[in-house]
Amino acid sequence: MPMPEPDTLSVLLVDDEIVRAAMVEEALANDGHRVVCRLSSPASLNDMVRQHQPDVVIIDMESPDRDTLESMALLQRENPRPVVFFADQHDPQSLKAAVKAGVSAYVVDGLAANRVKAVIEVAIARFEAFQGMRRDLDKARNQLADRKRIEQAKGLLMKHQSCDEEQAYRMLRKLAMDRGQRIAQVAQNVIDILKPLEQGS
Amino acid sequence: MSIGKATQASTSAPELAGLTLGFVPLLDAALLIIAREGGFFSAQGLDVSLSRENAWSTLRDKVAAGLLDGAHMLAPMPLAMSLGLSRAPCETLAAMVLGRQGNTLVLSQRLANALDVRSDLPRPQGSALALRDCLTRGLAKPRLAMVYPYSCQHLLLREWLSLGAIDSDSEVELVALPPPRMVDALREGEIDGFCVGEPWGSQAEFRQVGKVIASGADMMPGHPEKVLGVTASWARRYPHTLAALIRALRAAASWLDSAAGARRQALEWLALPPYLDEAVAHLDELPVGCAPGYPLLSEGLRPHPSDFYGMAERLQPLLMARGRELDDVTLETCYSSVHHDEALHQPSAITP
Repeated sequence: MPMPEPDTLSVLLVDDEIVRAAMVEEALANDGHRVVCRLSSPASLNDMVRQHQPDVVIIDMESPDRDTLESMALLQRENPRPVVFFADQHDPQSLKAAVKAGVSAYVVDGLAANRVKAVIEVAIARFEAFQGMRRDLDKARNQLADRKRIEQAKGLLMKHQSCDEEQAYRMLRKLAMDRGQRIAQVAQNVIDILKPLEQGS
Repeated sequence: MSIGKATQASTSAPELAGLTLGFVPLLDAALLIIAREGGFFSAQGLDVSLSRENAWSTLRDKVAAGLLDGAHMLAPMPLAMSLGLSRAPCETLAAMVLGRQGNTLVLSQRLANALDVRSDLPRPQGSALALRDCLTRGLAKPRLAMVYPYSCQHLLLREWLSLGAIDSDSEVELVALPPPRMVDALREGEIDGFCVGEPWGSQAEFRQVGKVIASGADMMPGHPEKVLGVTASWARRYPHTLAALIRALRAAASWLDSAAGARRQALEWLALPPYLDEAVAHLDELPVGCAPGYPLLSEGLRPHPSDFYGMAERLQPLLMARGRELDDVTLETCYSSVHHDEALHQPSAITP
């Protein structure tokens, strides 16, 4: 007689990105799943699978561990036999979405697809949220760099044109408007031209 | 530097101007790298980006999902993809051979030193029988790595073990690791040996981490090792792009074969950071063909089903263990010469 499926799925999460792994782990734990998380990449992946017998393995698409994980399914009978979840050939879009989000998942044969799908969807959502966070961080970093550049260009202009800060800023803005460039870009040009003069003097 | 020759006026323009091909850092990715760096792709009107992939399974999934236009693939991969052996079936073709042989079998220094190899036997058999003796005397189960379940490296490793009457499933533990991880894993003692394409075997020896005890060519001389893999639907949608790719890669191979200093120049390109980077630092020039461990990159580039029978025969038991069987139609479709010959305007009836 088949055992009823437990509510809790045991999930092995393989991800080198610490923050992202924490986000996925938290979301899955909130849904009542038991998460075994693996952050670094020692060769203990085999032992990890053997020891925890996960129902689902979620792994970063770009992880070099993917080949190891897949071969386990084919070579070692004693391990749960994972199959690629996105193997549903009627749904190439979901594979594409998963690949784009960077998620790859392996599940044990015979597990109800809709239950696993819920787990995968949580993972994809968190991966995407993480990408968004990283984009915002990059943007914030760029803005900070822009600001520093503009300050430096203003200083150089003030010195070389003997003008005040307000006038220097207006000069930069006018140049940017005339050239159809971003003000940070113009600031960089100004630095490129005036900085060597500065050092040469 | 652009040394690609101008294309014939008679060929139709490629449908795609820009495309991305995947590769795994190995010497037999050379034709792709030469075609890009030497201007052979651009001479065909193609702007090709090469994307280095961390794992064979990822490369495979990206090709199937259309995120890569095509890729440097293990020879059995188009067949495994078409049969749906490790993911959803996806009809895939080997449009051209990119390299033959070029695999080495490496054991850790410790294990290699423990083997008492008889010199009167061919080297794969001598070393396999020596390992047999060690196992009989109580050597702990060695962990041996190959690159992917459906790979010639896996088949070669099994064949080598069978030469020593060693059972691949019970007397050793087989694991898969991506090629760039092999040498470090051997050094760390995580594995006791591996079968992988160059430059990783010679690098293990150079770094005194392991010893090359046999080559793939000892067991399957000249076997097709890597192919240009594209999905059948991609080939249908972009026939002229595929033809242009094939012509560019053939031109790169002719250049490698005949131009003065080509192997040295090729190695310099391979050593660029986006490609193999420091992995080829122990080599002076691209080692091609002259020793059994070296890949053949400029001969036998035309695919033909008969050429893959040997590989298919060795795959058959693996498939049957999973309740699958190989059919001739799939084999012949995967490794057909038709795309190659159309690109070169040759009638398909000509034998290789």
